[in-house]
Amino acid sequence: MFGPRLDGRDGVSLVPSTLDDFKLHVPWMLAPEVGRFWGPRFGEMTEERQEERFNKTGEDESQIQWTISYNDEPVGFTGIFDIDWIRRDGESGIFIGRHDLFGRGIASEAIRLRTDFAWRELRLHRVHNWVAHANRGSRRANEKVGYKQMGLFRHSYFRSGEWYDEWLGEAYPHTFPDQR
Amino acid sequence: VALGGTIRGKTTTLRLPVEGDLETYNAWMADMRLRRAHRVWHEPAMPATWKERFKEIAKDKQTVLWSIDAGPKLVGFALGRLWTMRNGFDVHHFVIDPEEWRKGYGSDAALALHRYFFDYLDLRLVTTELRADNAAALGIADRLGYIEFARGHEVHYRDGAYVDELKLRMDKESWQERWSAEREYPPLAADATR
Repeated sequence: MFGPRLDGRDGVSLVPSTLDDFKLHVPWMLAPEVGRFWGPRFGEMTEERQEERFNKTGEDESQIQWTISYNDEPVGFTGIFDIDWIRRDGESGIFIGRHDLFGRGIASEAIRLRTDFAWRELRLHRVHNWVAHANRGSRRANEKVGYKQMGLFRHSYFRSGEWYDEWLGEAYPHTFPDQR
Repeated sequence: VALGGTIRGKTTTLRLPVEGDLETYNAWMADMRLRRAHRVWHEPAMPATWKERFKEIAKDKQTVLWSIDAGPKLVGFALGRLWTMRNGFDVHHFVIDPEEWRKGYGSDAALALHRYFFDYLDLRLVTTELRADNAAALGIADRLGYIEFARGHEVHYRDGAYVDELKLRMDKESWQERWSAEREYPPLAADATR
C-alpha cells in the first residue's frame, strides 16, 4: 500500500509514491555517495523491474510506503514493512537518495511523520529497525522519536577495510515524545 | 532453485520438499502447540492455496525450504533466506511436529543443517529469532553455539500476552571451535589431485 499525504515542517512531506518516483530509485541506489550505509549497489535495476516493484508495493497490504518530498521534489522514500497486523508490529526503513541534501533534517522530519502515523492512524504496537551504527544522523533521527537500542549486530558488513556494525532499535507508542 | 537438497543427520534427513508434504504443513500451522512456540509460516488454508505458496517458494532464488524426515515419516521443515551477498543465512522457520517433540529430532536436524551452512556453503554467519520462552529451541541454539545480539520487547502475542523475541547469531568461528569434527566429507586423500 502507499500511505496518504502527510505534510510536515520545513518543506518535508510524505506522499503516495508514483511510478516515476520508483524509477528514481535506480540512479539513487546505485550511487557510491549513498553506498556507505546501503548496499550492495547491484541488482535487477531495469525500468520494467521497477514497474513490477511499484505494482507489487501498491498491492501489498503488509507494507505502507511513501515518497519523501522536499519542497515538492521527490528525494527518497520511507515506509513500514512486513507489518504483522495481529502482533501490530512492523519494520521501518528510510532512504534519502538525494545525497546533495544530506544534513538538512529531511530524514528526521520524515521519520517523525511516519512514526506519528504508526501510532495515531495504524494503532501499531511496535516498530523496529536496523540502522548502520556509524550512521549517527539516521540513528539520532530515530532516537528523537522514541526508538531505543535493543541490540547491536557486530561486523554486519565490510567497507573500505573496516567492519560496520548495525544498531537495532525499537519504538512503542509510549516512547513517542509528547508534541503538544 | 530454492528447494533444498538432501542433508543427512544421524536420525533425521533434510530433503527436497514435495507437494505431498503440504497437507502436513497445513496441519502443523493449525496446531496451537506449535503456534505458541513459533511464528507461523502461513496461516492454515485450502490445498490450492498451499500449492500456490509452494510455487512461489520454488521461484524465489534466495529462500530455501527443506522437509525433515525421521525414517520414512515427515517430522518437520526448515525455511530460511540466503543473504544477497551469499555469505550469511537467516533461519526463519525450524519446525518439528509437536507429536515428535522431545525425541532429539530438532537437535539432530539443526546440527546437520548448520554443518551444511558452515562446512559446505562456507557461510560467515547464520542468524535466527526465537521466542524468549521457547526453552527447547533456545537449548538447541545454545548447544550449537548461537549467541544473543538483541532482544525485542513484547514482540509476539499469544495466550493473551506478549512475549519477547531473542535475536541470535552463530558465527563460523563458533562452528569451528565446537564442531570441527563434523564434516560433510572426509579430508581429500594426499594423492587425490595427482
